[in-house]
Amino acid sequence: MSLATRLRPARGAAIAVLIYLVMYLVYAISEASATSVFAITNLLDNTIVLAIAAAGLTLVVLTGEFDLSGIGVIAIANVVVATTSVGILGWFGALVAVVLIGAAVGLINGWLVVGLGLQSLAVTIGTMIACEGVALVILAAPGGEVSDTVANGLTGDIADVVPVAAVIIVGVLMLWFVFARTRLGIAIYAVGSDENAAGLSGLNVRRTKLLTFVLAGAAYGCAGYLLSAQTGSGDPRASNTFLLFMYAAVAIGGTSLAGGRGGVFGSVVGAGILTVMQKMLFALGAASFYTSVFSGIIMLVALFVGNLSVLRLRRRRRGGAEWQSATPRP
Amino acid sequence: MRPLVLQVDDLAKRYGATIALEDVSFALNAGEVCGLLGENGAGKSTLVKALSGVVSPDRGEIRLKGDRFRPTSIVDANRLGVSTAFQELSLVPSLSVATNLALPDAPKNAIGLVSGRELRRRAEATLADWGAADIRPSDIVDSLPLGVRQRVEIIRALARNPSVLLLDEPTSALSDREWLFGLIDRVLKEGVSILYITHKLDEIRRLCRRCIILRNGQKVLDQAVSEMSNDDIFRSMAGRSAVEQFIAAPSAARPQDVPALEASHLTGEGIEDVSFALQPGEILGVAGLEGHGQGPLFRALVGLHPLRGGRIAVAGTARGLHSPRVARAAGVVLVPEERKTEGIFKDLSTIANISVPVIRRVSPLHFLNKQRERQLVEQVIPDVDLPEHFLPLPITDLSGGSQQKAVLARALVVGARCLLLFDPTRGVDVGAKQSIYRMMRAFVHDGGAILFYSTELDELVHLCDRCLVLYRNHIAGEVSGGALSQELVLSLASGQAAQAQPIAGGSP
Repeated sequence: MSLATRLRPARGAAIAVLIYLVMYLVYAISEASATSVFAITNLLDNTIVLAIAAAGLTLVVLTGEFDLSGIGVIAIANVVVATTSVGILGWFGALVAVVLIGAAVGLINGWLVVGLGLQSLAVTIGTMIACEGVALVILAAPGGEVSDTVANGLTGDIADVVPVAAVIIVGVLMLWFVFARTRLGIAIYAVGSDENAAGLSGLNVRRTKLLTFVLAGAAYGCAGYLLSAQTGSGDPRASNTFLLFMYAAVAIGGTSLAGGRGGVFGSVVGAGILTVMQKMLFALGAASFYTSVFSGIIMLVALFVGNLSVLRLRRRRRGGAEWQSATPRP
Repeated sequence: MRPLVLQVDDLAKRYGATIALEDVSFALNAGEVCGLLGENGAGKSTLVKALSGVVSPDRGEIRLKGDRFRPTSIVDANRLGVSTAFQELSLVPSLSVATNLALPDAPKNAIGLVSGRELRRRAEATLADWGAADIRPSDIVDSLPLGVRQRVEIIRALARNPSVLLLDEPTSALSDREWLFGLIDRVLKEGVSILYITHKLDEIRRLCRRCIILRNGQKVLDQAVSEMSNDDIFRSMAGRSAVEQFIAAPSAARPQDVPALEASHLTGEGIEDVSFALQPGEILGVAGLEGHGQGPLFRALVGLHPLRGGRIAVAGTARGLHSPRVARAAGVVLVPEERKTEGIFKDLSTIANISVPVIRRVSPLHFLNKQRERQLVEQVIPDVDLPEHFLPLPITDLSGGSQQKAVLARALVVGARCLLLFDPTRGVDVGAKQSIYRMMRAFVHDGGAILFYSTELDELVHLCDRCLVLYRNHIAGEVSGGALSQELVLSLASGQAAQAQPIAGGSP
């Protein structure tokens, strides 16, 4: 368990898993077909875009920065896949293209934040708007066509039992657990926890932040690719509602928006919660607008429980000053 | 003559209009500890940062073992053989001790991952090697007490096998100084050179043969320690005599009057049945080792810490002081412990920092009248020796001592009758300390009352009329007048003389 202690026990993520299981249980009880392969595949398909986007966002949030550019990148990726995956680039070329586009946007974000010292919130609002504009330039109205290889290959089941989405999610989580043990992974936590101390400890704060923006951008590109597979077409405005859900997934998953605590695992579960909740409420026959009420409440509960330990820690640390005697100790 | 290791020539650095270092030159020999003294803002930290690669000097040259030394980063400085234990501690709070010790380049295993087991194994070996086997490598740094964190910080600097070690106030939170002194003796034998920054003269005398004193960014003294008296050193640091440091003044206490602040049987978390009466004109000291209830007590008196029972009376009237605002209205003002986070508003000017509690009084029709604000503030700043030209400056441009003067001026401007001072001279230079002492004397002379906690025993002994000693959250004893000595306070505070003197009197 040395790894777990090193990265601080992820209490928030554990709570998120618990909430997920409870909701899934309620969903499974009230909807008989919920445990079928078809229903599970459908659930995971609905989750995966948000999960991958939130995973990318988590990296930036862990360093203590903001990144709102995600939905812009997803929009560009979606229209690029819809206009090029059938034709010039093919399914693989389109994947490479959207990952590169995402990384490039991340590089711009990172350079503006790290190189010029601008505030990440403002910078990424700017790039988000610009990216959404670019998406409209590429494809002015919903349309286009997504290659069947993408649309079918990423949404079905392998041998009719294992959902492709499950394989991707497991892959992402494994990638994360490996990544968290790299020097860069540790540096991300260190920078988010105390930037000054990280710098004095010899870590390269600027490089670390720049890389997280680039990695996050690439993840948004992948999320856009998966979104295209789900919808089968291009829509420059398809990702409009995503932004707050990405942040909600990160927060519900126990990652501190101030940086330094949390992880991708929690965010993926957080994305899962937001999706399974819709299914659960639908199965219970609740009107759709209750979903928002519930999402909000769940986020607040997750924040409250996740912060209990922080509050307690803060109280414990409030000791008096240490004794300093001007004379040597007797 | 031992070989020269570090040579600094005409080093200069300025930040905007502030000259931090001006043509500082000195040399450091192998196997030598050299003390570095100076008031806050004298340039010690800038010198340390320039040597450790955090800031680059504007002019001047540093030579390390004869080669030009221009570190581009702290990693570069480490590589070249200079490592630093910083005063503000450079440990990452959310990571474990083991990971912190391994930064920035944690050991990787065959497939390029950082191995938790390897990290812990190395950390265990390092900690044991430096006499800190009691620290657990897997503990997260921000769950550790400050003193333990400081030990880890020191060990990390030592473990990099430097040829030059910079220790910046390494004992500020340390409970066992002998541990550090032992390590210093050990690395000296290996030929390491140490620059030792401190405020504490006894440490300089214990460790250093030579010391350098900085004042206003310039080197004013570089001399053998044995040739200097404490007064010589104080005088060089402050630029004037420090003999008047403690003016013996007759007590202004009026024991017959109604107590300015009276607490009876206060109980709460960290407070066990604490009672005292603070008379007008009195400086009542509070002593206690770390975590013996002084923090909760001071906060509880202005409603920042919940009380389960007890009664507080201000000037004879029972009051529920359940918030600092109510306390302030009753004339009771707390000057808190953490100046940076609880004392100052760092984005405001100095004058705004002082006038903030009385802003209503100088804002007819809700618009601030700058002239009236200034008039009001100018009435109190002479009491704390805060120069008038500091008022328009951002408070963060001021030295720690001047910031503290501003915080005290804010307490005075509301017309407080009872000040609760929690370690007001911590991190404050000698000159500012004297100003604070003078202000305290003048305040009680005019009939005010002060409850005064300090981590420095000699302050308590010299300034207070009486002193309450806390031990395990209750008052272990009270000493006053002639009986007030550092030895007695210390023995009460460590629980040794718990039964001896329940109330003043007698000699130890």
